[in-house]
Amino acid sequence: MTSDGRYKGWALFLPWILTFGIFWLFPLIYSFFLSLTDYRLLDPTVDWIGFANYARLFSDPDFITSLENSFIFVIGTIPFTTVIALGLALLLNEKLKGRTFFRAAYFMPSITSMVVIALIFSNLYARGGYLHFLADMIGLHPPVSGFLLSEKTALASIMAMDIWMASGYYMLIFLGGLQTIPDELYESATLAGASRWQKFRFVTLPMLKPVLLFIIVINSIKSFQVFVEVFVMTKGGPLNATFTGVYFVYETGLKNFDFGYASAAAYVLFAIIGIVSILQFKFLKTEWKA
Amino acid sequence: MHTGIYLFAIRLFKKKFEVDLRRRAVYRPDMKKILILAVLIVLFVSSCGTKQDKEIVITWWHFWTDTGIKPVVQEIVSDFETSHPGVRVELVDLTWADGHDKIAIAFSSGTGPDVVELGSDWIPEFSTTGHLLDLTSRTDALRSEYLMWEPGQIGDSYYAFPWILGTRVLFSNNELLTSAGYSPEYYPGYWNEWLTACQRVDALGDDIYGFGSNSAERHRLYKKFLPFLWSNGGRILSNAGTRCVLDSDKAVEALEFYLKLSETGLIDTQRRLEDAFLEGKIGFIISGDWLLKRIEKERPALAFSTQLIPAPDTLAQSISFAGGEYLCVNSKSKHFDMAFELIKHICSPENQLKFCKQNRTPTPASLIAASHESFAGQLHYDTFFAQLQTSKMPPAHPKWVYIEAALEKAIEKALYKTETPRQALKTATQIINEQLLK
Repeated sequence: MTSDGRYKGWALFLPWILTFGIFWLFPLIYSFFLSLTDYRLLDPTVDWIGFANYARLFSDPDFITSLENSFIFVIGTIPFTTVIALGLALLLNEKLKGRTFFRAAYFMPSITSMVVIALIFSNLYARGGYLHFLADMIGLHPPVSGFLLSEKTALASIMAMDIWMASGYYMLIFLGGLQTIPDELYESATLAGASRWQKFRFVTLPMLKPVLLFIIVINSIKSFQVFVEVFVMTKGGPLNATFTGVYFVYETGLKNFDFGYASAAAYVLFAIIGIVSILQFKFLKTEWKA
Repeated sequence: MHTGIYLFAIRLFKKKFEVDLRRRAVYRPDMKKILILAVLIVLFVSSCGTKQDKEIVITWWHFWTDTGIKPVVQEIVSDFETSHPGVRVELVDLTWADGHDKIAIAFSSGTGPDVVELGSDWIPEFSTTGHLLDLTSRTDALRSEYLMWEPGQIGDSYYAFPWILGTRVLFSNNELLTSAGYSPEYYPGYWNEWLTACQRVDALGDDIYGFGSNSAERHRLYKKFLPFLWSNGGRILSNAGTRCVLDSDKAVEALEFYLKLSETGLIDTQRRLEDAFLEGKIGFIISGDWLLKRIEKERPALAFSTQLIPAPDTLAQSISFAGGEYLCVNSKSKHFDMAFELIKHICSPENQLKFCKQNRTPTPASLIAASHESFAGQLHYDTFFAQLQTSKMPPAHPKWVYIEAALEKAIEKALYKTETPRQALKTATQIINEQLLK
């Protein structure tokens, strides 16, 4: 390549590099530096404190609770979201009447603003709201003040909403995966006398494993980062029942202005997400190869 | 000057363009000339600004974005500009959702406004970190004319000018009280009478509640508990502000009584409690003047009364929670004298009166405005003004965010029965004391 071509290439690349550097790389490095200081937004004095913020995090009951809630959220949503999304995708991959409408309808929640959805669900879950009324009518004895004001049901309610919202999006990705499976494989299976279940178990599922891995990893990362739902619906309460990792970072950084401590919490969360993603890649990929 | 710069730039490039056109060559920019042109552009732009530099611009960040009140704010500002030629006030709207964050980030980066409106419990965090101008000497002569300087006071220094105040009073539903066997405007003067009235209203039906009790709603719950604490003689911090005293018997008694009231009622968010009150389902609710506006707009036929929050007994006083809007000057403002002039103008009795009448706020900070005839005889306004006289604000402390969080957590634990009131307040006291020692 001529030097002119190289320069042109870099020039075309420059807008992305600048955006990446200024809005992603620099904050990432800078926040790590901040996590080693006692920087508070309004306080002009900043002292270097090494890893003291990290040590403080693991003795902070609020942070521990926030991590527990984040793990419950991830473990409690991903299997349901994945199974529902796969089920919907299998159903809507068939030649059904009106399947385009249903595909669009199931996908719709994932392109709707999370704030709007959270506000609607806040009303549905509240005392006298439709879901509360329905639960009461079928004898489930919902909490008197509504699902979001009980420490026993608040997190589960947000998780249920998240499953409802995310399933359509992952359904679309599964649909994409299903359509790449060659028909010849199903024809061979039919000739070999395979039942519908056997076709699903030995053809569809193995062929979908790369998509499945992608969905699980992406959904785990997204679920660990749950914030807007909590911010709009419960503000982390009641009794810290919905206090998640990212909400802890928000409260510490933008409410208490303890930027050093918030940065350390963000890095711990970043490390946890990284480790979980690596483990998912390791285990799911190995199984796929086998 | 502008024409000169323009002609020079044309001459500079004209020759080069002509040569290039004749040769049909690809035009290659001459970096030296581009640099000269850039300098000329900078000169041109800066010369355009000369006229504006003569003008003093005061920026004021405020929260009154509602279309009903914003025109009054603009009118007050226009009056100031008219009476101060050469001064322009730049209004910047903030929202309660993220206004606090924006102010903090602006102050931290040195780009804060000249004048800023702050909520009463935000002032210490900005004043103790040196971001607000000390207004002590400027307000010496004015302090006797305005109420509630305490939130802006750190030691002997004053950092904030009180503008609009607010307090909470007791709202009661007249029809429910009649159904419970009381006179429509029955006033339970003391805690025991209040509890009995709540229990009797609560017994009226499954969907009728005695008291509207706030649930675990952050930044709100503590405001509902503090009137009980203060009225019972309890305190959050010691006199010197160095030690938390929330584990006192008085505080425990107050929380125990709050829980007893809650048992007779509905526990929900403030907004939904007010909805239920408007629907005639709640006997008693503690709320502010905004509920008056909601009733007037949404349920004008609702029969209700406003009264002072009941005191524990005959020996105690009814004390409510007060909050307010305060105006402060940025310590790094280039025009702090003019910024303070603007504050004086906004807070003048006539402008407070204009603002409060439009916003239907019964509690201006100016004593002259508060005693104006337009407030006299207004149903419910007297209650608010009387309650304001015995209202308190939380202690002005730089660590208030931590104190508030620990206090709210204690109330939540007691409300959700995961700890007894004594245990919950003891834990809160320990947490707050640890913070105070840091």
